[in-house]
This record gives sequence, C-alpha cells and structure tokens, in this order.
Amino acid sequence: MRLILAVIVCKLLRFVGGLVGKGSSLPGQYALKVCPDVLGRVRLPAHIIAVTGSNGKTSTVEMIAAILTADGRRVVYNKEGSNQIEGVATLILSNCSLGGRVKGDVLLLESDERYARHTFKWFHPTHFVITNLYRDQLTRNGHPEWVYDAIRPAIFPETTLVLNADDPLVSCFAREHDPDRVKWFGLDECAISTKEHHGVYHDGARCPVCKGRMEYSCYHYAHIGHYACPACGHKRHETEFAVTELDLDGGTLTINGETRISLAFKSIYNVYNILAAWSACALAGAAPSVMAGVINNYMLKNGRMITFTLGAHRGTLLTSKHENSVAYDTNLAYIAAAEKPCTVLVIVDSISRKYFTGETSWLWDIDFDRLDAPHIGRVMLYGKYCNDLAVRFQYSRVPADRIEVGESIAEAAERLKERGDEDVYVVTCFSDRDKLLALTQKD
Amino acid sequence: MELTILHLYPDCMSLYGEYANLAVLRRHLEALGVSVTVETALFEDAPDFERADFIYMGAGTERTQKAALTALLPHKEGLRAAIERGAVLLFTGNAMELLGASVTDGAGKVWPGLGFADFTTQELDRRAPEDVIAHTALWDEGLVGFMNKCSVTRGVESPLFDGLSLGFGNETEGGPEGYVSGNVLATHVTGPVLVKNPAFTDFLVRRLFEVKGWEAPETLPVLPCEREAYEVTLRELTARIGKKQES
Repeated sequence: MRLILAVIVCKLLRFVGGLVGKGSSLPGQYALKVCPDVLGRVRLPAHIIAVTGSNGKTSTVEMIAAILTADGRRVVYNKEGSNQIEGVATLILSNCSLGGRVKGDVLLLESDERYARHTFKWFHPTHFVITNLYRDQLTRNGHPEWVYDAIRPAIFPETTLVLNADDPLVSCFAREHDPDRVKWFGLDECAISTKEHHGVYHDGARCPVCKGRMEYSCYHYAHIGHYACPACGHKRHETEFAVTELDLDGGTLTINGETRISLAFKSIYNVYNILAAWSACALAGAAPSVMAGVINNYMLKNGRMITFTLGAHRGTLLTSKHENSVAYDTNLAYIAAAEKPCTVLVIVDSISRKYFTGETSWLWDIDFDRLDAPHIGRVMLYGKYCNDLAVRFQYSRVPADRIEVGESIAEAAERLKERGDEDVYVVTCFSDRDKLLALTQKD
Repeated sequence: MELTILHLYPDCMSLYGEYANLAVLRRHLEALGVSVTVETALFEDAPDFERADFIYMGAGTERTQKAALTALLPHKEGLRAAIERGAVLLFTGNAMELLGASVTDGAGKVWPGLGFADFTTQELDRRAPEDVIAHTALWDEGLVGFMNKCSVTRGVESPLFDGLSLGFGNETEGGPEGYVSGNVLATHVTGPVLVKNPAFTDFLVRRLFEVKGWEAPETLPVLPCEREAYEVTLRELTARIGKKQES
C-alpha cells in the first residue's frame, strides 16, 4: 500500500513540478518519506547499468542510452543528471506502474560517486561502469582516495564491474572482486601517448596500493596511462575493450582493431567516454553495427560549448567546472590547439553554484602554461577572485604584458565590445557562465 | 645571501596545491636579494637536513600521510638536529599530525609519530571541509584559508592560532588551531596558505632572516595582487561567520 502511495506521490509531484519547472529530486524525496524502502520494493528491469566517476558520467550515460534505444530497448535513465538517491527515486517511481513494476528493459543511472552506496543499498546494479577518479570538487569530496573509499560499499559481489584499466586508482576496485565479474576498457599506446607525465601535479606518482614509486610505460593524460608498480605488482590489466588506434587530429578511433569511429569532438575525454559507453553496451548485448552507427560522429546533447557574439567578436564559452583542474586543462588544450588569433577570458566569480567557499587552491592544479601560445594575444582574468587568478598567472609562463585583471564581468564584456574582432574563448563554470552570456547574443 | 629550502615529498604530499607555498616564499625572498635553492626529498631518499634553513611538508591523503610518516621516521634524529640548530619548519594540512606522539587511523591502528610534541590525533570517518579565519599573536592580521580534515588533534599545549572565527580548530569548532614551538610551526589549514596570506609569508621571511643573522628591511616587498586577493577572501569569509553552510 505504501509502495502504491509512494508511486502516486512521486508521479503527482513530478507532474506539478513539471508545470512550475521545479527540480527533479523533490518528488523522490517525498516518496522516500512515504515509503523509505520503496527502492527495495519496486520490480526493476533485468539490466541495471550504473555509471560513476569524476568526469564523463553524463556524457557516457547519454551515449549508452542512445545506443541501447537504437538497439530496440526501452531505456529508463536520469537525463537530468539528478544523481543522488532522491533523483534516482524520482526517476524510478515516475517510470513505475501502480503495481510497482518499472516499465523498461534497462535502468541506466548516472550515480554520484559519494552517494552511490545510499542508492545501491536498496538494489544492486548488474553493471557498474567507473570512468576515472581525479581531483574534483575537493572542498566536498576530500580527495580521490576518499571518493574511492566512498564508492567501495556500493559494490556488491554479483555486480559486473566495467573499469577503466588506465586509471591506477579505479583499477583497485577489482582487487577484492571476482575476476570473472570485472571487464576492462582502455586505450592502447598510440600517437597521443607520451613517455613523460604532463601537468602541474601527478596523482599517479605513487602506487595507490603500496605507495611505492609507480612506473609508467606511457601516459595518455594526467595519471591515465600504462602503469606498473615494481614494489607490489599492481599494474594495468589487459583490456576486453580497447581503442587500438587513435588519430585525434584526424578525429578517428578504432575499437578492438575492427570498428572505426569518427569523433564529433576531438578530445581524449570523448575517446574514453565513447569507449566506456561501448563497453557497457557490448556487455548488454548490443550489436556492434548498431553501436557503431549511433556513436559515429555522435554530437552530445549536453554539450558544454556555447557560441555567442559580442561586439565584433565570435565567442565560444567552454564550460569548465571550477575545482576540477582536468576540466579546465581540457578546455585550455582546446584553445591552445586553435590557430587563429584570439583573446581568452577566464572568470572566477562564485566558486560553486551549490555552496559557498573562498577556496582557490585548485587554481594551482591547472596547467595555465598552455595559454602561453603565439595566437593567444590577451588573457583577461575577471570576477571576484580575479586577484587569486592574477597571482596564479604570475607563476605561469604567460607573459605579464598579455594579462588584464578586473573584478566586474560587465566591464570585461564592455572592454571586449570596444576593441577588436578576434575570436574570444571564455573559460568558466556553470556558476558563472550566465553572468557573461546574459551580456552577449547567443547563437 | 643564500638560503636552502627542503621540500619533503612534493610528489604526493601536495594534495591541494601546496607546492605554491614554496613558489611564493621563494619569490618573496628573492625580492630581498636572497639566492634560494629548493631541494626535494622523496620517500626513497635520505633527506639532507644539514643544509636546510626551511623545511616544508604539505597535505596528503590519509594513506599517503602514513607512508610519509613511515619514510620520515628513520630520519627523525636528523630532523630534530636541524630544528635544534634553528631551522624553520612548517608542516601544513595533515602533515601537522606527524609532529605529534601518534596518529590513530580509522581502523584503530596507532601510528607512532615523530614525537616532537605530545599531542595525539584521531582520524574520523567524516571530513570537515570548511573555510577558515584564524587569529594568532604572531602577526597582526587574521589568516584566511581552507581546511579539509577528517581528524581531531588533542593535547596541543601551544597552538599557532589562539582561536578561529570561522572553522574547526584542533579539537573544537572555533577552538585553538595548529601548533607552534620555537621555529616549528604547523597548521591543519590546507593548500597555498602562504599565497593567500602575505602576512604569514612576511612573518616567515623575517624569521628566516633572524635565523640567518641577516637584517631585514623595515618594510618588506609587496608583490602584485597578493594583498588584494587576501582582502577579498577575508571580506567574503567574514560575511559567512555565523551562517550555516548549505549542502
């Protein structure tokens, strides 16, 4: 009875919420109050895929959904990205019959890495994809090993783990798991691989198991690559699903030496997201031809690139999560690879949209040296924390005479409007991007 | 004027951008005409304490911190001798805990510390990440920063900060924080605490000049944007005093 009530409460609130444009976690929150164990009572599809990790969750989930839908499955998934237990409850109960049966073939969940254990207390995924673990929102998350420890209780013996073999910390999840229930994906050594580590910090310097010095035969980016610890033997596992060839400049990759895919976004992160989605879908029994058809030139709907016009400038805003140096580095690399003369505007005004903090240590983890390139004529540092940015840039290779500092975002927009017609790249977070976009004409 | 900085375990005890502390300190010293050498030691090395004028270690994960302790313990006497000689030591974040008598980890295992002070640390299964404003008698301004700790430290007899107007101290909200004894300084504030606090940097510069027997000018060099960054953060954090953190 409480189950039915919870389902009704959820559906009703969801309907009302839809009318007033309210968030997607509230209906689930109330349903959980009506029936706290509701997620243990509903009948779920035979296939439950969960995706977690620091970066790439939303994109990976979106691609898995697109592939499995094309393969003829009914996929229930949290496209709004509400990835804590309340959002998951909203999703499940909104798609439930009054009898408590979820109407779908596959339940697909983006799962917050810190809260997965609360969600999966009630039901266990059949497949758990873990993309990567790195420094992300450390003001909330502590550090990657803390997040690792938070995910561990969400892993159950019957779940098949789908792991990024190239991440030494993610690989540790396999250590206490039935090896038959671990599937690995990874990138073979290829043109983008380097012998040396690149970046300001190196979280792979020490073995996550024994803290001995880790050895890498190659790096793909950050601490992601081919590693082996001489002290304890923790090393990269052989992969079931591999990108065997990669041409990032040309925008193509090959999976398992057979399937060639064109990339709509030529970034290494897109490569991993595609590979993770491919692995999960292959394990769910999707046909390779269907997978290839969907993933080829796949344009993400949750794209974080927004184009606009400001004065005579063509602008591109690259959403970069504050407190996440990898997200920043991705976008800085994108700008560095552009060849036309440009101005870069970096905005740090509110550090988070969800909570207050004045913490700016993450600026020191970002590789701003990438902006020392001949085509980048000017770097504008704006927002409340512009001085923190300015101090950080004093320790970068970007020449001081290219840097301009100011607190007001409106002033940044005015300055741009007044002068020049070069391309403009804006690097900032969800919390700050609308403050600038409101002053531009969006495409 | 030559000065040597020894950075302990920079490859892994620099979880929150702590390496920046030394970059900033170095630049302030160089602005005064000091020629600075930065040496590093990894777990596998025997640190060269004999030549060090300033010894620094930043924060690590809980597991890395234990590895740092295990690596440093065999060299304890060398470190002690450097301190007795007058070298200035700064340990920030959970590196502070190593100076005490012990650290008890989440599983209940007791890790004997360096034993330079009597305090003991107990790790918890939850973190208290929060912004900090701290007050000390050693310099005039409040210190701003961030803490990301999952422990309480008990029995500190001489804290570096007498109290906090924002944040969690050694064992209580708002209570005394850190540890100081002579030239040994420690705080659980993580990250680039010297970058954020020019007054702390100036304090260390003066202390280093004293140790070296050099005369420091009355006013120290002010580097661009540092004070402005400090003032904005102090203003923002001050506005948060008494407010509850959402999320």
